[in-house]
Amino acid sequence: MNRGGVITSARATFSRLSGGRSAGVNGTARAGLVLVGFLVVFAIVGPIVAPNDPYTSDFARGVTPEHLPIGPSAEFWLGTDRLFRDVFARLAAGARVSLVIGIASTVIATVIGSIVGMLAGWYEGRWLDTVLMRAVDVGLAFPFLLIVMALGAALERTTAATIFLTLGFTGWLGIARIVRSKTLQVRSLDYVLAAQSLGQSTPRILLRHVLPNISGPIVVIGTILVAQMILAESVLSYLGAGIAPPTPTWGHMLFEGQDYLGAAPWITAAPGVAILLSVLGFNLLGEGLRDALDPRKS
Amino acid sequence: MRSTRGRAEAPRGLVAATLALALALAFAPACSEKLPAPIPSASPEGAAPKRGGVLELATFGDVRSLDPANITDGLAPQIIEQVFAGLVDYDKDGTIQPDIAERWVIADEGKTYRFFLREGVRFHDGEEVTADDVKRSVERALHGSARNPAASYYSSIVGFDALDAKEAESLPGVVVEGRYVVAFHLSKRDATFLRVLAMLPLRPVCKSGGARTSASWHPCGAGPFKLPPNGWQRGQQLTVVRHDGYFRPGLPHLDGVRWTLHQNQSSQTFKFMRGDLDIVRDFATPELLRFQADPRWKPFATYDEAHQILGEAMNVQIPPFDNVEIRRAVAAGIDRDALRRIRASNLTATNQLVPPGVFGHDTDLHGQRSDYEAALEHMRRAGYPYDPVTKTGGWPHVIPYLVYKQGLQEFMGQVLAQQLEKIGLRIEIRIVNYPTFIALRGRRDATAFGPGFWLQDFPDALSFLEPIFHSKMIADEGTNNWSFYKNPRIDDLIDRAHEELDDERRKKLYSEAQEILTDDAPWAFSQNFRFYTQRQGYVRDHHSHPMWMHELKRTWLDRAAGPVAGRAIFSEKGLAALLGTDVRR
Repeated sequence: MNRGGVITSARATFSRLSGGRSAGVNGTARAGLVLVGFLVVFAIVGPIVAPNDPYTSDFARGVTPEHLPIGPSAEFWLGTDRLFRDVFARLAAGARVSLVIGIASTVIATVIGSIVGMLAGWYEGRWLDTVLMRAVDVGLAFPFLLIVMALGAALERTTAATIFLTLGFTGWLGIARIVRSKTLQVRSLDYVLAAQSLGQSTPRILLRHVLPNISGPIVVIGTILVAQMILAESVLSYLGAGIAPPTPTWGHMLFEGQDYLGAAPWITAAPGVAILLSVLGFNLLGEGLRDALDPRKS
Repeated sequence: MRSTRGRAEAPRGLVAATLALALALAFAPACSEKLPAPIPSASPEGAAPKRGGVLELATFGDVRSLDPANITDGLAPQIIEQVFAGLVDYDKDGTIQPDIAERWVIADEGKTYRFFLREGVRFHDGEEVTADDVKRSVERALHGSARNPAASYYSSIVGFDALDAKEAESLPGVVVEGRYVVAFHLSKRDATFLRVLAMLPLRPVCKSGGARTSASWHPCGAGPFKLPPNGWQRGQQLTVVRHDGYFRPGLPHLDGVRWTLHQNQSSQTFKFMRGDLDIVRDFATPELLRFQADPRWKPFATYDEAHQILGEAMNVQIPPFDNVEIRRAVAAGIDRDALRRIRASNLTATNQLVPPGVFGHDTDLHGQRSDYEAALEHMRRAGYPYDPVTKTGGWPHVIPYLVYKQGLQEFMGQVLAQQLEKIGLRIEIRIVNYPTFIALRGRRDATAFGPGFWLQDFPDALSFLEPIFHSKMIADEGTNNWSFYKNPRIDDLIDRAHEELDDERRKKLYSEAQEILTDDAPWAFSQNFRFYTQRQGYVRDHHSHPMWMHELKRTWLDRAAGPVAGRAIFSEKGLAALLGTDVRR
C-alpha cells in the first residue's frame, strides 16, 4: 500500500512538472528546468567548444595596445580577463567547478541532514533528539560562511574536494530541522504504526516507510540547496578562501574583474550573470518541485 | 486558480527581467564616463602660500604602530615622518639634509659623528629637544626589548650588541657632550651611517616615550605635525594636526593631514573625482590610463619610482632550488616583459637587484636575461631535461608557490606558472593572508618558492643586499633572507662595502655582488614598481618623496571654489574637537 502511494505521488509530480494540471507549477518548474538544463549543457559542452585554453594568457591577441583586456570578438567570444585569458573558456570551466561543488556538497548535506533529522524525529523527546537538536542549534548560531572560511583557512590547500566536503559537512543543519518535523508527522501515521506492530526494526521502518514519505520535501530543499552551495562557493572564491587560482571559478573571476569594471565590464558581467542565472534556475526548480509535491494542490 | 496563475506569471516576468539585465550587463559597452576636470587653484603660479586646510589622503592599508622604534608596516613611515623630526633627514631628492642637527662633523677616520643641535627645537609637549633626549631615544629604540626590526642597521654603534641582547641598559657609543652636542662612536667605519640615521627608528621622542618602548605610549615627537589625543581611530582614519611650535618658521602650511584607511582603489578614485581626496596614487590600471590620457590632469601628475624590487625568491635549502641550475632555469625562463604587461602602467622590467635611482644600480650589468633556450639548457644540466614538444620531463613534483591574497603577485604568479610549465617546472599557487605569508616566508624550511619583494629603507644598494642576502640575516623565524642564501663571497663584499667610504670603490663592490647574484640566482629579479601620483589642481608645492611618499612640510591648499577639500567629512568643528581649541583657517 505504501509503495503504491509513493508511486502515485511520483506520477502526480511528474505529471505536474511536465505540463499537467497547474499552469503556475508548470511555469515555475519549466523555467527552472530550462536554466538548470542550460547550465548542465554549458558545463559539459562549453569547455569542448571553447576556442581557447582557459589557463593560457594570450599576450599577442588578447590584449589592447594600452595593455587592457580586449572585449568580446570572434576570437574571444566573451573577451579576455586581466591576465588576457579567454573569459568564455574560463566561464565554461568554472561552470563544471560550480556544478560539481554545488551538487556534491548538497548530496553530502542532504544525506547527513536527513539521517540526523529522521533520528531526532523518531526519538523525539529522548536524549538523542535533545543532543542532536541542540547541536543543530549551536551550529545554526554560527554564521555559515564564517565556519566555512575558518575551515578553508585551516586547510593547507584547497581543492574542489575540500570545498564541497567543507560545504557539505557544514550545510546540513537546516535540512535536519525540517526532516525532523516531517518525521514527527509521519511517525504517527497508521502505516508506520502498523509496521511497528508487525515487529519491523527501526532502521527498516525509517528506510522503507518514513524516508519515502518525506522524500518530497527533501528533494525540494536539496534543489534549493544546490543554489545556495553554488553561491557559497562563489563567495568563498571571491574572498580568496576557495579553490586557488588559476583554476577558474566564478567567484574568483568576479574578484579578478572588479578593478576593471569600468574599462572591461565583461570580465565581471560574465561570471556575475552565470551565478545569477544558476542560482535563479535551481531556486525556480525547487519552487516548482515544492508546488508540485504539495498535497494541498493535488 | 487565479492565484496560481498569478504565481506563474511572476517567475516568468522575473526570468525575463533577469535575462534582460544579464544581456545588458554582458554586452554593455565599456564605461566611458568622462573624467571631471581637475579642481583648479585660486591663485596664480608663484603666489605666496596660504595657511589652512586639511589635506585628505587615503590608503588601502592600515597602520599598526606609530612608534618610530617599531615600524612594522608600509604606511607608518609616511605618517611618522610628519610627527617625528630627526637629527638629519632626506630632502625631496633623497639627499641628506640637516634637521634637528644644524650641522655635524665626521672625525676619527669615519668612526665618530658629532652632531650640533639647533637650540629651541620643541617637542609637541612643549619641552625642548636636547642631546639627552637624543641619547635616550636611541637607547630606547635599540634596546632588545623594543624588538626594532631595523635595529641591525645601527649595529656599528659602540655597545650595540650588549644593548640589543639586553645585557646592558645604555649605549656607550652615544655620548652627550653638551646640552646641544651629541656624538656617535662607531666600532668600525660605516659608509651608510648618515643614511640610516636619516631613517625613522632613532628619531627623538618626547620624555613621555620613556626609556623603553611601550605599546600604550601616545606618539609624540618634534615633527611638523602632531597626533592629537583622539586623532587615530584604528582601522578607520588617522589625522595629524599642525605643530605650532615646529622649529622651521612658518611651516607647515596645512592645518592637518588625514589618512582614510582601508580604502580600495575604486573608492579612492571615486572620492578623488568627487573632490573628497586631494591626492591619489592607488590606481587600478584602467583608471590610471584614463587620467594619463586626459591632458587636463596631466600637469598635476608624476611618475615616482618606488625603489622596489619584485622577483621570485627561491629557498636554496629546499629542493629543487638547492640545485643552482634549476634556479638559473627559473631566472632565464621567466618572461619579464610578459609579466610587466600584467600592470604595464606601474611595472618596468629589470634584470638586477638594485632599482634605478638607488646608489649601486649598475646600468652596465648584464644581469639576468629572459632566454627560453638557455632555461631549457639549465634544466638539462640540472638533470631534469624537458621536451617542450612532447611536454615530458622536467622536475617531477609540483612546487608550492606561496602568495598572499589581493596582492599584485597573486596575478603575476598565475602567469609565472604558465611560463615555468614551459620549462618543466609545475607550480601550484597557495594563497594565504598577508601576515601568514610573511610568517611562512621568514621561517626556515617552510616555503620553497614565492614572490620576493623589497622596498628600500635608504637609497643605497646595501639596503637591498644586506637584509635579503647576507647570511647573518638568516634565522629560524622572521628572516628577510627568504632564500636562506649563504655565500661567503657575498657576505665579504657586503661587509667591505659597509666600511668603504669612497663611493666609486663601494659601487664596484656592489657591482661585483650583483654579478654573483645574477649567476647564483637565489632570486629571479623581475620588475621595478613605480607610482602614478595624481593631485588636484589646488594642491600646491606637493612633491612625492623618495623615502616618505609625500613631502608635506611646504604643501598648501588653494581651492578656487566650493568647500575646502574634505570639509564635508572633516569639519572645522571636528578639527577643533581634535585639537581641543579653535582653529584658525
